[in-house]
Amino acid sequence: MTEKTEVSICFGTLCFIMGGSAFELLSEHLDEELREKTLIRGMNCPGYCNQTSEYGKPPFVKVNNTLISEANLQKVITAVKKEVLHGADK
Amino acid sequence: MAQTNNATLIRREIITRLCRLYAENRLDEIDRIPLEMAPRNTTAHNSRCCIHKARAIIRYRIMALLGFNVADETDELETLYSYALRSLAGTDRGKGVLTVVDEACTSCVKSNYTVSNLCRGCLASHCMVTCPKQAITMENGQAKIDPARCVGCGLCQDACPYHAIIYVPIPCEESCPVKAIYRNAQGIEEIDYEKCIHCGKCMVACPFGAIMYRSQLIHVLHQIAKPAKPVVAMLAPAVCGQFRADYTAVADAVKRLGFTDVFEVAEGAVLTARHEAGELAAHLESGREFLTTSCCPAWVEMAHKHLPKFLPDVSETWSPMRYSASMIREKYPDAMVVFIGPCVAKQAEALKYPGVDFVMTFEELGSLMIALNVDFQDSDASVPGEVIRERAFAISGGVAGAVAQYYQGEVLKPLVINGINKKNIALLRKLSATKHDYNLIEVMACEGGCLSGPAGISAPAVARKLFNARSGISVDQIAITGF
Repeated sequence: MTEKTEVSICFGTLCFIMGGSAFELLSEHLDEELREKTLIRGMNCPGYCNQTSEYGKPPFVKVNNTLISEANLQKVITAVKKEVLHGADK
Repeated sequence: MAQTNNATLIRREIITRLCRLYAENRLDEIDRIPLEMAPRNTTAHNSRCCIHKARAIIRYRIMALLGFNVADETDELETLYSYALRSLAGTDRGKGVLTVVDEACTSCVKSNYTVSNLCRGCLASHCMVTCPKQAITMENGQAKIDPARCVGCGLCQDACPYHAIIYVPIPCEESCPVKAIYRNAQGIEEIDYEKCIHCGKCMVACPFGAIMYRSQLIHVLHQIAKPAKPVVAMLAPAVCGQFRADYTAVADAVKRLGFTDVFEVAEGAVLTARHEAGELAAHLESGREFLTTSCCPAWVEMAHKHLPKFLPDVSETWSPMRYSASMIREKYPDAMVVFIGPCVAKQAEALKYPGVDFVMTFEELGSLMIALNVDFQDSDASVPGEVIRERAFAISGGVAGAVAQYYQGEVLKPLVINGINKKNIALLRKLSATKHDYNLIEVMACEGGCLSGPAGISAPAVARKLFNARSGISVDQIAITGF
């Protein structure tokens, strides 16, 4: 079995207030197949929000090693699909 | 219901910036916020024509955030700092809780019906023939509606065989359950405060974020900064649906913001439920047919302004906010009491009765936490704490359920009005005119209850999920069976 795609959601207050609360429903928005291949977890604020010129605007979500700024459900789902498919190629 | 969209996020960014300036003792730099948020040589968000307009809108948003009604502006050159000082001096208090940021209002459409370019300019011209106001003419081979004549009846839309005429809603007007918002002669929306029930639905509905509540936040910041009196916060029952944290962790975070102490409004709700159960029994015994709940301030306002027939049957029991305030004053007689909740209408309620000094929203609480770098991850309070069942006041059906558990009397037949909207208003009118056998009517202005409040942090579905996970009470259980 291939490794699961890891989705790390920033649990900092800033990300949560500025739109990150939507990711509470991320797993409900993934279809069953994707959900099985995904591991959703939180991460303590890595401080990207202090360097917006470099990393972009919050909320931040990491899908495996890709950092998504101004993340929303659609962006994250697209990234998860891409990662899961990429994993299948290997 | 709170939604996180760009309009909400801009409001939150402004609130955060204001809090930061205040905390760093740099309030005199408040006039820089519009410049910082819309800096030179950048393009404005594509919904605004230019950065100058974007700045002007931010300026008016800050004016509302400082507690002013945007319509009360007399001098366009008055600085935001001057407004801030005037606000803190507390000299003037204009009308209403909600205010229209007129610069931001795009005066959507002049008429709700418009002819799309699918119009074939047909020979029959059903639309022209049908229009009772002769508002339709043919120009360049297509029908055209004159907004000055159109009364919005929609007959032309039904008549067009090509479905070429479309209905374009005006979101704020559409969302207002009591027709309190309308276009003035300049085509800008205006709120009629004689009709407004402060439910906040227009604020949530406007895609340009043109409607804001007049905030009291600066006063709260000011009280926290000067330690003369204890500043005590009370957290509305919906608090358990706001953050990824248990009640104790939130209370701890609120203390770290500088509040002296924190109370849970659900404790006041226990008293409301008990007293309301007693009032209900006495009310029915006295020969009245039914009693309606009174914890939702938008509903009470609605009864006063639009459904006076209900007034004798609206409960006079204090809301959980008022009971909580009196509990706080027992412990801290000279405290400044701050209610923090998802509600816009609570501000109007707090102005009506003594006991609560200021009302703050969850959105403002979250933004203040950002400004002061208060995160849950560094909170060491992680014990779930005691579960107060009256947290269910935050959910539609929860109030009736709570009253029922203390009620002793004839068989209870509760009816839950889940959200004040046009359909439910029609139902309420019918209930006031005809005979029915309900004896307890719970009314909540927000569909789903306070968890869907207009100034909450997240979308209702998220708030429900968090509440289920964090409050110790199941939303769905209550929706089905009551308490």
